[in-house]
Amino acid sequence: MSASHASTPARHGHAAHSHVARYLRVWLALMVLTALTWGLSRLHIPGGAGVAVALAIASVKGGLVALFFMHLYDQRGANRLVFLTSLVFVALLIGLTLLDNATRFPLANPPDAGTSPRQVRDAILGSQPPATPHPASH
Amino acid sequence: MSSGAANPALAHHFESLEKQAHAQRLGMWLFLATEILLFTALFAAYGVYRFLYADAFSEASRGLATWMGGVNTFVLVTSSLTVALGLDAAARGDGRRSGGLFFLSIGMGLVFMALKAVEYRHHFASGELPGQYYTAGAIAGSGGALFFTLYFLITGLHAFHVLIGMTVLGVIGVKSWRGAYSPEYHVPVELAGLYWHLVDLIWIFVFPLIYLI
Repeated sequence: MSASHASTPARHGHAAHSHVARYLRVWLALMVLTALTWGLSRLHIPGGAGVAVALAIASVKGGLVALFFMHLYDQRGANRLVFLTSLVFVALLIGLTLLDNATRFPLANPPDAGTSPRQVRDAILGSQPPATPHPASH
Repeated sequence: MSSGAANPALAHHFESLEKQAHAQRLGMWLFLATEILLFTALFAAYGVYRFLYADAFSEASRGLATWMGGVNTFVLVTSSLTVALGLDAAARGDGRRSGGLFFLSIGMGLVFMALKAVEYRHHFASGELPGQYYTAGAIAGSGGALFFTLYFLITGLHAFHVLIGMTVLGVIGVKSWRGAYSPEYHVPVELAGLYWHLVDLIWIFVFPLIYLI
């Protein structure tokens, strides 16, 4: 217990220096990015660009939380590896599922050809009560 | 080497507190990875149906109270800050401050849940419910029902995690307050914080996908 630095908050050994300033900066960035994504959504960016921008901002925010609030920035490799591996499977699960749906094509038979899925079904099951109109996809 | 060997928190099968802490953190990250994938399954379903019913999804989303989702984002992000500050206090040996900051975070969790309850109440009243219970009828086809199915699955599972997180913060916060942790050993404070940050992290993706279409 040396008297020279009695007021210094940093202890030797385990307690690292305080992260308060870093936490506050990250928090401020998260608040600004939240306001930004909210504001951008009001512009209704057409097409897929709106989703892309929103997801990009969310990813930056998520990265800030994971790196600094969750301390992946200064933790050992194994924990980072676990997190990154989970992200690989996130990409696989969402990416492949969407690719599957995006690359399907609607059945090519004309709807009045007598071989459309609706008519085949009606022939087998008897005609159905008027179903809800199928919304145009995409 | 260190005096940690005498620390009562050290389990007998670990060589040192440091190794124990590493194992605990790794275990927590493995658990968090499974949580991420649990939500990913729902996000994948969301992606498919948003792709197939793009117009219905944006129409249904426009009916949501965006300001509530936005305010809840600010609330959760700020609660993550107070949890992080709580860890900092624990690392400096200030258990009271750490516990207090955790209780403050629980308070913000309550604000979040209260706003969510108001929203759910509104959906119940106006028939914006999942699947066949969707009676709002404003949106043609099954897109509206599908949107609200996924809305309730995603926000419901997330709200469930908020409740669990608040419980964990409460238990660890009380122990902190009573002085159970030290600058040498406060891994439970850290792990409780990790869970809360993950709940925040997931909401960061829920907000633009559900509210900002």
